[in-house]
Amino acid sequence: MLQFISHYTDRYTYLDSIRFALEGGCRWVQLRMKGATDDDVRPIAREALSLCRQAGATFIIDDRVALVKELGADGVHLGKNDMPIAEARQLLGPNCIIGGTANTFADIVAHHRASANYIGCGPFRFTTTKDNLSPVLGLDGYRHIVEQMRQARIDLPIVAIGGITAGDIPAILGTGITGIALSGAILRASDPVKEMKRIINITQP
Amino acid sequence: MKLQINNQERETAARNLQELAEELQLPAKGVAVAVNNAMVMRASWATHTLSENDRITIVKAACGG
Repeated sequence: MLQFISHYTDRYTYLDSIRFALEGGCRWVQLRMKGATDDDVRPIAREALSLCRQAGATFIIDDRVALVKELGADGVHLGKNDMPIAEARQLLGPNCIIGGTANTFADIVAHHRASANYIGCGPFRFTTTKDNLSPVLGLDGYRHIVEQMRQARIDLPIVAIGGITAGDIPAILGTGITGIALSGAILRASDPVKEMKRIINITQP
Repeated sequence: MKLQINNQERETAARNLQELAEELQLPAKGVAVAVNNAMVMRASWATHTLSENDRITIVKAACGG
């Protein structure tokens, strides 16, 4: 399963990127607008939620627990420097999807205990966008983590993130990782909708 | 029939996703399901037939499991 993380370029807005993703067949969208205020994000999130509802897609927002609650989004993704998962769970209640970023198996165990519903695990490789302080996992890192999760019977979905390109996807899914989160690749393509379709096809062999 | 749900093996009598959702007591809200990596919308669960060794990914909120 593929999670699309919104982004923007000189040509396209956050909402454009979400429209492309949905039109290309993606059904799991994360709105990430680091550095913006909740007031900046609110109207965009509202529109994105409406687009996702029309498409039957799951819509989550990065970091902004209060906004998720206010707008009734499907969930929130919490990075390492965001609100702790247990605290977000108290605010959002049991029916909200909470995802947590993990770099190690220990992070996953902690997130699982704190009631996370999925794990964003990375970075797969070095990226210039974020989390540069965390060690790169690569395929071996994922294999190892998936095995540790199996043994610990932690059955959370785990989504690979961080510098992933279309060509990496089959090998990553081959490690037992259950999903892929993608950001940059879509808008860099000359035809973003077509690129999303292509990538969706790769994840569904 | 045997399925892989979030990488764990599970034996089920469910014939389609809707029956599986009932068997797993998935909540009415806050659930995303993929079969062999393809997301399946809730409206299609009842018509989505399951096959032996299907890999199911369920992202669901904490309640009920």
